[in-house]
Amino acid sequence: MTIALETQDLKKHYSMGPVVVRALDGITLSVDRGEFLGLLGTSGSGKSTLLNLIAGLDRPTSGTLTVFDQSLASMSREELSVHRRRNVGMIFQSFNLISTMTALENVALSMMFAGVTRRQRERRARELLDQVGLGGRQLHRPKELSGGEQQRVSIARALANNPEILLADEPTGNLDSKTAREILAVLHELNARDNKTIVLVTHDSILAAPFVRRTVTLLDGRIVAETRL
Amino acid sequence: MIISDTVHLALRNLREAVLRTALTSLGVAIGIASLVGMVSFGVALQEQIVGNFLRSGVFDSITVMPGMPAAARNLRLKTARRELGAATKSKGADRPEAAHAPLDDEALKKLAALDRVIEVYPNIRVPVEIKYGQFSEFSGAVGVPMSARGEGAFQNIACGQFFPNDTGDDCMLNLDFARRITDEDVKDLIGKELTLGFANSVNKGQANLIEAMGGVSFQRLEKKFRIVGIVERQPGLGALAGALSPVMIPLAKARQMGTFDVSSPQNFLRTLSDKRTYTAVTVKVRSPRDTDEVEQKIKDMGFGAFSIADALRGQKRAFILLDLLLGLVGSIALTVASLGIVNTMVMSILERTREIGIMKAIGGSDEDIRKIFLCEAALIGLMGGVMGDLLGWFVGRVINFGANYYLQSQGAPGANLFLIPWWLSSGGIAFAMAVSLIAGSFPALRAARLDPIQALRHD
Repeated sequence: MTIALETQDLKKHYSMGPVVVRALDGITLSVDRGEFLGLLGTSGSGKSTLLNLIAGLDRPTSGTLTVFDQSLASMSREELSVHRRRNVGMIFQSFNLISTMTALENVALSMMFAGVTRRQRERRARELLDQVGLGGRQLHRPKELSGGEQQRVSIARALANNPEILLADEPTGNLDSKTAREILAVLHELNARDNKTIVLVTHDSILAAPFVRRTVTLLDGRIVAETRL
Repeated sequence: MIISDTVHLALRNLREAVLRTALTSLGVAIGIASLVGMVSFGVALQEQIVGNFLRSGVFDSITVMPGMPAAARNLRLKTARRELGAATKSKGADRPEAAHAPLDDEALKKLAALDRVIEVYPNIRVPVEIKYGQFSEFSGAVGVPMSARGEGAFQNIACGQFFPNDTGDDCMLNLDFARRITDEDVKDLIGKELTLGFANSVNKGQANLIEAMGGVSFQRLEKKFRIVGIVERQPGLGALAGALSPVMIPLAKARQMGTFDVSSPQNFLRTLSDKRTYTAVTVKVRSPRDTDEVEQKIKDMGFGAFSIADALRGQKRAFILLDLLLGLVGSIALTVASLGIVNTMVMSILERTREIGIMKAIGGSDEDIRKIFLCEAALIGLMGGVMGDLLGWFVGRVINFGANYYLQSQGAPGANLFLIPWWLSSGGIAFAMAVSLIAGSFPALRAARLDPIQALRHD
């Protein structure tokens, strides 16, 4: 089994005035291709920071971070944006859909940045929305959709450019438990059927347990526990 | 990212904030309108003044005089050569035939044969005694070529018309002169006859002889001329100075009458010789641009020549400066508008910070974001530019209408004070877009540089 992403003594420090916050304080972690990893921890434990570093939204203070054997630390801003649209798809707690765009347009937007033609991206967006169970709601704006539906749009968007890795940051945080399980089931299916590598950040280990294969628990920027399920 | 997608995205962003987009564009439009209005006023003014001069036939004509005496020219050439420090011999000085070129009929033919010359005619002023009823005055009658019809001073004929042909005993009067010879309406002069008394050198042995200098005999002749037209006195220079003369007669007539010239003793003596010469000749060229070249050729032939092309050049420069000045004044509004663009864009970025963060998170590069915002700025500029052109045109029409109404109520002829040539309207739009792009470049860069994590946290 090949490695999707790997970190070595990864550190991320923020200066908050005179205080240095050690959001990540030496993380060494390896995620295989096709793995479904649960990143657990309380708020402030550094799990979201780690996810942002993997996504290429932020840069580490020290240590190494490689995704498919490419070092993110040495990438230019332009290269990081290519990494974000090719290698990873992001799913957020607050969905982060563009409110003025329809579901279809939201999904198509990430393909727009990849230079896909209008006709192709609209076809693919339709397919993806069908796949996540939103076939009839393509022309609805986020406000007209329920939380679960919005998160499905968000998942479809993350899949648009067909990345190998999906990074989900508390995707169920704003959903009721029934809807949350549905969303996790969608992710699980993507992992099982399409062999997507998924890193799921959550504070709810009980909810995530049936779906993930391994959990890593963070506390104060360090890995404190690791469990294979 | 495909360029059409960028434009599409920018357009939809602008549509999302219709009011703000409209107001910002209106700001640009007002700026462009004032700029276009100012410059078009300058252009129209230039057209009014320079155009009038051009039509007056001043700038496409060269006045040619007989060549300078050889001694004087040689002196000047020597000085010129010293100044140049060149050892080369001057061609002109060594050519005996060019030493003192007389302005005779042969010279006229040579001038007419020059490239780009459309007409050559002598300037003839016949000394006459003008008699009309009790009125009598010694003055000059000027020969006017038929080609002057509709040109310069003959553009506006107060009443009557131009000479129907150049063989009739017809004359035209200057309006001021016409007023002096009659107490009644000058219109009534049309069709009346005027007597011109003039002298003619004749062979001895005829009646009515006057013995004059050097044994030359003159005959006093009188001829009746029918008044066909009255021209308003207008500033006319050079070739059409005729308009400043009280009486104008067809050039062919003047040539018959004016067999001698008393404008200077030198000319007088010259007219006494067998060969007929002229004091000055007007050479008309095809376009004002040709004057320089033809003038130089004429000088090379050994004649004296001058044109007012230099004055035109100076005037052009003055108008460019005026346009620039008016443009600068007009630009003030545009500067304010460009601040409006900066403000709108900064506001828009603040409002859409989260959206920018999302775009970056799903793969939008700095460059993509920058292009979207620059495109928005350019579109605001485009809309503002088009609206500004329309607004400028409309306001100009209104001002033009008002000004003409006033001019006409004051008895002055109407004038087009507003002219938008194609380069101004398209330049206005291009300028609006350029200004918008410059104004938008800073906010766009700011948007592109936003930290995605910070932006995603933004509400």
